[in-house]
Amino acid sequence: MKAVLLDGIVLGLGFGLLGVGLTLVYGLGGVLNLAYGELAVLGAMVVSLVKDAGAPLALAAVAGVAAAMAAAVLLDLTVMRPVYRQSGEHRVLLGLLVTLGVAFLIEGLLNWRDPLGALTVDIGGGPIGIFGVPMPMSSIWASAITLGAGAILVVFLGATTFGRAIRSVMQDEVGARLVGISPSFTRTVIFALSGALAGLVAVTSAMSSPLTVTQGFDLTSFALIVTVVGGLGSVTGAFLAGLLLGIVDTLSAYYVGQYITSVVLLGAAGLTILIRPRGLLGR
Amino acid sequence: MKGAAAGYLGQKVVEDIDLEVRTGEAVAIVGSNGAGKTTLFRAIVGLLPCMAGRVILDGVDLTRRRAHRVARAGVAYVPAERHLFPAMTVKTNLMLGAYPHRPNRETLELVFDLFPRLKERLGQQAGTMSGGEQQMLAVGRALMTQPKLLMLDEPTTGLAPKVAKAAFEAVERLKATGMTLLIAEQQVPLALSVADRAYVLENGRVRMEGTAEELEHNPEVRRAYLGVA
Repeated sequence: MKAVLLDGIVLGLGFGLLGVGLTLVYGLGGVLNLAYGELAVLGAMVVSLVKDAGAPLALAAVAGVAAAMAAAVLLDLTVMRPVYRQSGEHRVLLGLLVTLGVAFLIEGLLNWRDPLGALTVDIGGGPIGIFGVPMPMSSIWASAITLGAGAILVVFLGATTFGRAIRSVMQDEVGARLVGISPSFTRTVIFALSGALAGLVAVTSAMSSPLTVTQGFDLTSFALIVTVVGGLGSVTGAFLAGLLLGIVDTLSAYYVGQYITSVVLLGAAGLTILIRPRGLLGR
Repeated sequence: MKGAAAGYLGQKVVEDIDLEVRTGEAVAIVGSNGAGKTTLFRAIVGLLPCMAGRVILDGVDLTRRRAHRVARAGVAYVPAERHLFPAMTVKTNLMLGAYPHRPNRETLELVFDLFPRLKERLGQQAGTMSGGEQQMLAVGRALMTQPKLLMLDEPTTGLAPKVAKAAFEAVERLKATGMTLLIAEQQVPLALSVADRAYVLENGRVRMEGTAEELEHNPEVRRAYLGVA
């Protein structure tokens, strides 16, 4: 039981970080980036390429994160521009269509170039006992990286001038413009951050199980579930929801079976919408 | 601004507007609901594109600049809907007014001097304040941008008559500090009481202009806006 819970926490932290990247972009202008999971896969494939070329793991990871980040920025500077020129429902719908198109494009390209591509990140070292449960080194590394990234993010958004500017755009775009904050520049930064998070999640998740080229949509849907449960646009909400869902996931996998976990997760998301339409910490 | 026009979806709402505000002056735009006051303001600050004409501040052409650049150039706009950051504290709202700089101490003193209530409520979330307090914060946040021109759009919207009067007393004190003001207001007597000059906007065009005193004694204005037969 303790082991299942700890596994759930490890998984949940990963879910949380995954959700944060999606929820930030959503919070800043109402667009759900359906290409989000593909960005993670793209990052993973770059890590795998650089690693296979003989580079050290850390360097490969940095390259992968940078690639996902660059792809996200490119996305923002090109196809997302007309989307953000729209407002209200038009923006939401056009945003869904455009990012879905980009998702298909990236998935198609990666499948065509390397249909069997997969990233495995091997972390050496034996298990370490935590509360008497032997935890694999990979889980400890993944969780530490995730917690570190989450902490940096919370401080960045909460305690820096630029972070406050980002939150101001989330709360009132017109108000932000009136005090001299550029929503489009802010958005580019958030896209970059979101891409980097996608790349980071790709690396940490590949520490425990291989990340294959076909997993983009799975990642996007997990991120969506976390975002909905946590509250659209809330970073702490995403982490909380991630933890909750991670624990639900491992519990249902342990007691019912792996095949049912996605249904249970979706059920949890649906239940959240019914009980708390704004999510755990949504505005 | 000269010969400016603006509107929505290619439909002009205001047209042929020649408007001038001199440094240190308080100018009022008066007119009934739907006359185009807000459209005009939104066009000046770049929230709406100018379809014709120019907007010039101290010789700098702001016509095609986006709103955040107009704000940085020194034009602060307080919309009737205020557009505060509701989930942030009064303090953070004020700090963001100064973005990207650190808040100027003297400006902050001025804001607290005008609105002591804000100083008492520094830690309160903006969204939980009363309409009058939110209006104070909106003006305070605009002042924190250290504007050359402060534009107030219907500062009395949604305020009780007593609070509205207090708001205009604050405007009066603001004017005394030398701030250049452009105020749109439906309550014409209030507007004319602080303004040096005023423009009467009707159906998107300037119908009349003159000093506040001239307009106050103008029979047409008296009949249409001041409720005097």
